[in-house]
This record gives sequence, C-alpha cells and structure tokens, in this order.
Amino acid sequence: MLFVQLLANGLQTGALYALIAAGFSLIFGMTRIFHAAHGATFTIAGFIFYELFAILHWALPIAAIASAAAAGLFGVLLDRFVYAIIQRHEGSFFTVFVASFGAAIVVQNLISIFFGKGMVTVTTPLSKSIEVMPSLFIAPISGIIILCAIVAFLILQWLLTRTNLGIALRALGENPNLIEVYGLTPRRLSQYVFLIGSILVVPAAILTSATSGLNPSMGNHVMLISIAATIVGGVGSLRGAAVAGMLLGLAENLCLAVIDPQWSEAVTFVILFLFILFRPGGVYGRAIVS
Amino acid sequence: MKKILTGIALASAVWALPSSAADISIGAAFPLSGPNAEYGQVFSSGADLAVQHINADKKLSGKLTMVYEDSQALPAQGVIAANKLVNVSKTPFVLSAFTGVSKAIAPVGLRTKTVMVNGGGVGPDLANLGEYFWNTIPLVDFEVRIIAPYLVKEKGFKKVALVYVDDPFGQSILKELEVELKKAGGELVGSFSIPTTAQQFSGVAARVRDIKPDAVYVATYGNQQVQLVKQLRDNGISQPIASYSAVVLPSMLNLPEAKGLIYTSQQVDWNKGDAMTKRVREDYNAKFNKDPSMYVLNYYNAVMTFADLAAALEKAGKPVTGENLLAQRKATKTFEFVGGTVSFEENGTVKSPIQINEMVGDGTSKTITAAK
Repeated sequence: MLFVQLLANGLQTGALYALIAAGFSLIFGMTRIFHAAHGATFTIAGFIFYELFAILHWALPIAAIASAAAAGLFGVLLDRFVYAIIQRHEGSFFTVFVASFGAAIVVQNLISIFFGKGMVTVTTPLSKSIEVMPSLFIAPISGIIILCAIVAFLILQWLLTRTNLGIALRALGENPNLIEVYGLTPRRLSQYVFLIGSILVVPAAILTSATSGLNPSMGNHVMLISIAATIVGGVGSLRGAAVAGMLLGLAENLCLAVIDPQWSEAVTFVILFLFILFRPGGVYGRAIVS
Repeated sequence: MKKILTGIALASAVWALPSSAADISIGAAFPLSGPNAEYGQVFSSGADLAVQHINADKKLSGKLTMVYEDSQALPAQGVIAANKLVNVSKTPFVLSAFTGVSKAIAPVGLRTKTVMVNGGGVGPDLANLGEYFWNTIPLVDFEVRIIAPYLVKEKGFKKVALVYVDDPFGQSILKELEVELKKAGGELVGSFSIPTTAQQFSGVAARVRDIKPDAVYVATYGNQQVQLVKQLRDNGISQPIASYSAVVLPSMLNLPEAKGLIYTSQQVDWNKGDAMTKRVREDYNAKFNKDPSMYVLNYYNAVMTFADLAAALEKAGKPVTGENLLAQRKATKTFEFVGGTVSFEENGTVKSPIQINEMVGDGTSKTITAAK
C-alpha cells in the first residue's frame, strides 16, 4: 500500500510541478529570455492571494483574479521596462539573466518587508487527507491540483494551436526576425508571452498556499523545478513541460519506497543529468544550438 | 576646485571620526534573508532591546551599537559575515546562531580572540568549540534527556519516529534520541533525514505512517519545520508530534496544525519579580504586543552579559577586548538573566533547567511539566 500511497502523492506533486514549469517553459521557449524572476512571480501571486483571501476574507474567485492580475502585471512590466530596455541596448543573454535574477532578489526582499519573513498558509479542509482505503490517504486538494493542471494545459494547447495569437507566439519562438515580414512586432508578442506565462503560475501558487504554505524565499525552489522540467521536457514544448513535471514529481515520491527521503531531491537531478547526457533535446523538444 | 576637494576630504574625515572615544560596537551574524530569516527577526528584536536598555541606563561609558551581517543561516555565508564583523567592524563580541554557522565561525573567534556567543543553535557540539565560543542557550542534548523519558514513561509512547534535517544539528539529534529513548525503555523505530532545502513532505508522511509509531519527533528549523508539521498532519499523521525549542516561531505558534505539539525549552520564571524580568516583559509587550520568546531572551541575555563584562572591565581600567571579556567571564560566578540567575559551565555553556510545553494553536503555548 506504501507504493500506491507514494504514487498518489507523486501524481499530486507532479501536477503541481507541471503547472509551475509551464509558464517558465513558455516564456523561455518563445522569447529565449531566461526568466529567473519566474519564481518571484509565483511568490507574488501566492502572497497576494493569501493577503486577500485569508487575511482580508475576499471571495475566492476575486482573490484569485486579483492574484492573476498581479502576476501578469509583474511579468509584463518586467519585460517592458527591464528586459526590453536591456535587449534594445545590448541584448546579451547573460545581462538579461542577471537583471532577472536581481529582480527576483528585490521581490523576495519586498515580500519580506510587507508580509514578514515567516511561513504563511491558507487553512482549508481541502488539504486534509481522508483515508479512502486502509492506509491510503488522499486529500481533496490533490484532485483539484490534477484537474487544474489538465484544464490549464488544455486551454494553453487550444490557445497556441487554434488562435491567431497562439500561432504568432509559436512563430516568435521559431524565428523572431521572420515574423516582422508578416507585420508582427516581436516586442508586443513578447509581452503577451510574459502575460500568459506569468498567469500560468497562479493556480500552482494558490494551491501551494494551501498544501505546503508560502514563504518569501520559495521562488528559488520554484525556479529549480521550472528549469529541470523545461530541460527534461524540451525547451519550448508545453507538452514536454507537463510530462517532465509529472515525471519529476512521480520520481521524487516513488523513490521513497526504496531510498531515504534525504536523497529524493537528488533523484530530480539524476534525471536531469541523464537527459542532458543522452537526450539533450528533452522528451519533446530539440537540442538547442547557439 | 581644489578648495572643494579639500572641503570634501575634511568633511569626510570629520564624518569618519567616532562620536565619542568610548563608543563600542558589537556584531551579530544572523540570517536576515532566506528561508530562516524569521529567526533573524526574532533574534535581533532581543539584542536590540538589550542595546536600548544598556544605552538608556548608561551602563557603559559610551554608546553601544549593534552591527548586523547576514549569515543566511549558511556556514559559508556565516564565515564571511564573521570575518567582516571582526576585521572590518572590529567588534570584540559577535552574536551567532545556528549549529552549522556557529561551528563554522568558531575558529574565526578563536584565531582573532573574539568572543562569539550563540543563543539560537542547540547542537551538542557547540559546547566544545573553544573558550571564545559561549552559549546562552542550553544545548539540545539537555532537551532530549528531558523529553525522551517524558514520552516513554509518562505518556507511554514507546515507539518514536524521527524526521530530522540532514545537517550537523540533525545528526546530533539522531544520536541523542537513539540513546535517550533506549535508556528510558523506548525505541527509535524509524529515522528519516530530509535535505535542508526540501519543501514537499507528503512522501515522508507516508513512510512515517507505514511504521506506525506512537509519536513523531521532528528536528528541523525555520520555515521547513512549519511546512513539515503542516504536511505531516495534512497527510494523516494523527500521532502526537514532539520537538525542541526551535519550534517557538510565530508562524508555528499560529499554525492550526501545530495544536498539541509538545516541545522542550529552557525555563523562564516570569514571576521571578526582579526589575530586569519585569522591564523586558513590559517593554517587549509594548513594542510587539506579545511576550518575548526564549530566543528573544537568549539574545537579550547575551548582550546584557557583554554589557556586564564590559562595564566591569571599564571600571577596572582595562580595554574591552575579547581576551579581557573571557577573563572577566571566568572571574564572574553568576549572571542575572531574565527569569533566572545562571552560571556558565567550564565549556562556556549556560546551565538552565528545561521545561516541557504544549502549543495551544492560537499563537500561544502552555507549560505542561515544570522545569527539571
């Protein structure tokens, strides 16, 4: 029964990781900007939701929409007033990365100032596990997480394959110079990517506030997962990010059946290492040549 | 232009002069950022209150100030912070916290003859870091020696599982708990180490549930311990959870899932009735609207110990150096701490009785077993 329990836990963790990684994968895949502040977007969304829902007792949908608005605004503003300016003057990948990393640190400190440095959680009965079978405990929120991940990926898939905006965004990822021939502006499209990518992280942030809680420095862990899932799944492939997030979550939990919890995080990196070594393009992506 | 530059140079020189020849600074290498930053906030509130009281009472001939450096609760960052405090800020007395950080910076103190005082880390190894390293907090081996017989003999929890952080502190808890449970007639039925960066514990909860312990002892710190307790409870661990003094963080005290958590801490007698205890309680309450935690008191006491020693040195006409502070501490038999009179053992660690408490779940805790 331990194996089944770990499998159930793995599905929940995997769905959460997939949701976390999707936004980063989208942004990196379409714009080639290493958005190190993606973890900061997650933290902003989580804390805004916590403040509005748990402290000010706003209705859940309004708090969630406000949280999404804050995350989207942060992403768009960062792209418009930091990345765009750097790219206009120099455009070096490394300079943009450092700026993004700096923005993440600033956000972490601002959140510490406004919300304190401790852990905050949204208390809900949905996070309490129920014994569905002898020795098998599942929390209702697990189902919500998996459902959210499925819905988010379906919407995203529809957006990218069935709408003009989605096709333009995919073209941006393929060849940003060529799309100008068709009268499209890469910078404007880049802002759409940041808006969608930042909003994508909101469900994961809200659900994390109830499952494991929020703290100002949690963005680092979010980034770690995002990078690993993006590389394992294949840069630019949302399907890949979803599969990789699920794979990492399952591996992290199922390995506990045979090894000590101390090594469970190392499993993530072993998988990452193996992919870099034997399949650098990831599950669905292709190898990037600079 | 020349005149302007000369003026600027003169102004900078005047600015750089100390406001009084006897002004003195002491340092603190606390976690001010990262997942353990909440501790830094708590620790510094105690140290700052002591500085405020010392300056208000004019205990020293000059003004006392605190210089903070961010250790991030990481040994490597801690060494950078300690070196800066000792070599740049020239502080003869540095406050430290966390077992790993304290062990890393102790050689800096020993080499430069700077007193390092820990009021937050509880790894038993901290008692043996040389004569320049002091502890104003009783170490965790004392806490485990009290809680193990309580769990086994008084509560009848013979099978205990341990979830501990994989660092020097966690390793020492594992060793102590194994020995002390056996002595009390119980057994450590399972031990699960977790990395310092781990945030997901549903799998750990499944492993703990699988071995069916009577109680679970958690030994980690900071935000991780709050996440761990919440996720253990959320994932079906209904057995009593026990821990040590580091759980007394506002975020843990306010966590509904932490209700009923049993933990050890050093004793503080709020009814001692002396002026210092009363003043600290009143002033802290006025500022933060709650009673000070043990950590606040430990760092308050640490800074007060410095002031007592420095005042004695000033009276004797000796300079306030690490070497003289150590000699003066050895010559002083007892110290008045908040809530009790204590003495330092030969190894520089205070002796203090340990009590057992229980979290109420509303931001407070209650004492369930008097200090031993």
